[in-house]
Amino acid sequence: MIASANRLRSVGWLVLLGLCLALVLVLAFRVNALRSQIHQTESRIVALKQEKLYLETEFETRSNQQQLKVWNDVEFGYAAPGAGQYLEGERQLAALSVPTLADAPAPIRVASVDDSVIASAAFPAMVSPLSGKPLDAKAEKIEAKAEPRTAKVVHDEAVETLNERLGKVVDSRPRKPVLNETASDKDKPAAKKANKPAKVEKAVAAADKSKTKGSKAAPAPRAAKGKEAKAAK
Amino acid sequence: MNALTASAAIASGRVKLANVRQRSLVEAKVRVLVVAFLFLFAGFAAFARILQLGFFEEAPERRSLAEALLPPRGEITDRNGVPLARAFPAYALWYNPKAFGEKGQPLVKSPEEVATALMQIFPDADQADLLRRLKSDKPSYLIRRVMPEEANRIFALGEPALEFPRENQRYYPQGSLGAHVLGYVDGEGKGHVGMEQVLEKQLLDPAQRGRPVSLSIDMRAQGALEDELGRGMMETEAKGAAGIILDVDTGEVVALASLPSFNPNRSDMAYNDLVFNKVTNQVYELGSTFKPLSVAAAIDAGVVTDLSVRYPANRPLEIGGFRIRDSHPFGASLNVPEALIHSSNIVTAQVADKLGGPALKKTMAALGMNERPYIELPARGFPLWPRGHEKSGEWARITTMTVSYGHGIAVTPLHLAAAYAAMVNGGVWRPATLFKVDPAKAPEGRRVFKASTSARMRQLLRMIVVDGTGKSANAPGFRVGGKTGSAEKPGGKGGYNRTSLVATFAAAFPMDKPRYVVIAMLDEPKGTAATSFQRTAAWNAGPIVGRVIPRVGPFLGVVPDDTRDIDISDLSPLVGNGNGE
Repeated sequence: MIASANRLRSVGWLVLLGLCLALVLVLAFRVNALRSQIHQTESRIVALKQEKLYLETEFETRSNQQQLKVWNDVEFGYAAPGAGQYLEGERQLAALSVPTLADAPAPIRVASVDDSVIASAAFPAMVSPLSGKPLDAKAEKIEAKAEPRTAKVVHDEAVETLNERLGKVVDSRPRKPVLNETASDKDKPAAKKANKPAKVEKAVAAADKSKTKGSKAAPAPRAAKGKEAKAAK
Repeated sequence: MNALTASAAIASGRVKLANVRQRSLVEAKVRVLVVAFLFLFAGFAAFARILQLGFFEEAPERRSLAEALLPPRGEITDRNGVPLARAFPAYALWYNPKAFGEKGQPLVKSPEEVATALMQIFPDADQADLLRRLKSDKPSYLIRRVMPEEANRIFALGEPALEFPRENQRYYPQGSLGAHVLGYVDGEGKGHVGMEQVLEKQLLDPAQRGRPVSLSIDMRAQGALEDELGRGMMETEAKGAAGIILDVDTGEVVALASLPSFNPNRSDMAYNDLVFNKVTNQVYELGSTFKPLSVAAAIDAGVVTDLSVRYPANRPLEIGGFRIRDSHPFGASLNVPEALIHSSNIVTAQVADKLGGPALKKTMAALGMNERPYIELPARGFPLWPRGHEKSGEWARITTMTVSYGHGIAVTPLHLAAAYAAMVNGGVWRPATLFKVDPAKAPEGRRVFKASTSARMRQLLRMIVVDGTGKSANAPGFRVGGKTGSAEKPGGKGGYNRTSLVATFAAAFPMDKPRYVVIAMLDEPKGTAATSFQRTAAWNAGPIVGRVIPRVGPFLGVVPDDTRDIDISDLSPLVGNGNGE
């Protein structure tokens, strides 16, 4: 009996081993199948990307500048936009509706100046009444949400949105501080200062939190003391 | 007895049989052994091979996604990411005479018929050459690059000997546009002429070639410049044309064109004179376009403080047997603004004489006129810088005077563009570059003129276009300022050839806040009906600039505006209108 039970047990182990091996094999097959699937997918992605490149290149070739020029000459006849098709800002928009009088003087023409200089001159950075330091744009936005009556118009943004509405081609290059040394000098401290108030605010907020925490945490020791006292009794 | 004899006989037979049987048994056993041994050996060999493969052989190459998509040569794009040059798997047409094996005819139809059919698909191919290749028994390329639809048409011919191997080639979607900037890649994959040669290492480096290299070129501006230069060249029957658009603040070259151009897609045909870059490699005496530079030097040095001072202009200046004359008399005297507007050699020479050779030489050297132009391209011409005195190196008086109006000094159009950029941008000279520059990180450059001089020169350049010889370049709303230059080419009798000119227009816009310098140059333009039978820059190069600026301005962030202009009211009273050169 004992011998047969032992044999049965060993056969059982063998069966278990076989089963495990079979399972491992199945798993290995599945893993490999998945791997080759991934590989297939990858090669398909590569093929598709190459196809895309191919089509894109063909498109670029068919629509190259010389070809577009020929089409424009033969079919479309588009010309570069003239000055009348652009609007500079609110002033020009308003001027459109006003008819020019017969004896009106010739309009005054002015040279273009860096927008940033005008904006900084027209709207100096808002100064915090507490710290005396200029507030940064974020702080201003938060204030604008909280108290819309005191909200200030950010000139740069306003100009931009108007330009967007009027479909003006905006100079996308960041403003160049190279020659304009004074402007860049001005910018730097402004940026530094602008960062500071945010930190100060954070610090204040943190202090507030710690206070509230402190107030919540304060009763706890008393309770603990009470427990201790009870235990002592 | 009988039985005994019989058994004996049988026994002897049996013995023999037993021997045979035993022998054959042994033989069979040996054979089995041999076969078994062979099997064992084969099994062992197979096992050993498997072990060898498993443990010692390298795994088969499995290219990852990134590797497979890595181009064999990096892409080049323009400043907005438009591809200018990319590695592209294109088809080639390959003739394989052994398509049907060693023996037999390789072609189904006769070579003549096939060549004729190919000529219908590729009209610009050489039929005799195709026929020669089709008749030969050596495999060869018939056509190096075939478009997919052409490949389909060839496939329809039903010739198995015509094969289309897919090959990685360099492809330029914009064709000949910007060819001198890009250069080309030869059959062995080596870059030549332009940025292909300059960036060779970077484009082939596996770590870097995945990222495209973006140049400072704007393809739309390049297209417009080449188109208008080509038109000007055709109208004036000029030998060649060159043009450049340069950002005055960063030194970025936005467009650079040298015509006639070549097609980098046909690298087999690129070995010719057309690869010579007229903008960076060819030096010209650029004539009157130098006058503003000389005047700027004089204003900067404090020699010209009062622009209303008048200089005699009624007769040619005679210096050491050399006569400086104007194209036609402009009156008894001219002041400096009038001299620029009418382009008077006589007055400019007097101003330069007052300034003196050393000061003019110093300014010209500070503008980089005595060295090769600064740009990445390998082809950069060395200027013809006037030789000075043997000992002191100073220019002779006459040299100073001729240099002041752009003769006796020969530079490339790129030199001129960089000098004009310095003159209008506030006075800082910066090297030109073909790489995109962050405006905040523009090179510092070197100061050549004071900011006040630059402001004054902007006014004067604008006046030349409003009132003077540059009227034809006055694109409405773009506040163009610039100067014409029509220089006689060296050669012929008396040092200069009176009939062959180099007509240049050097301009900047918008003059109230200059952003770009535009140079257009025509080599030996002729007087045609399109230019009212005039050969000077005001009639041919000027109009090119006047047409290019409205086309490129809006792309480059300069919009036409009638309400803006530079203030020239303080100088306007100084000039009376008139026509000059």
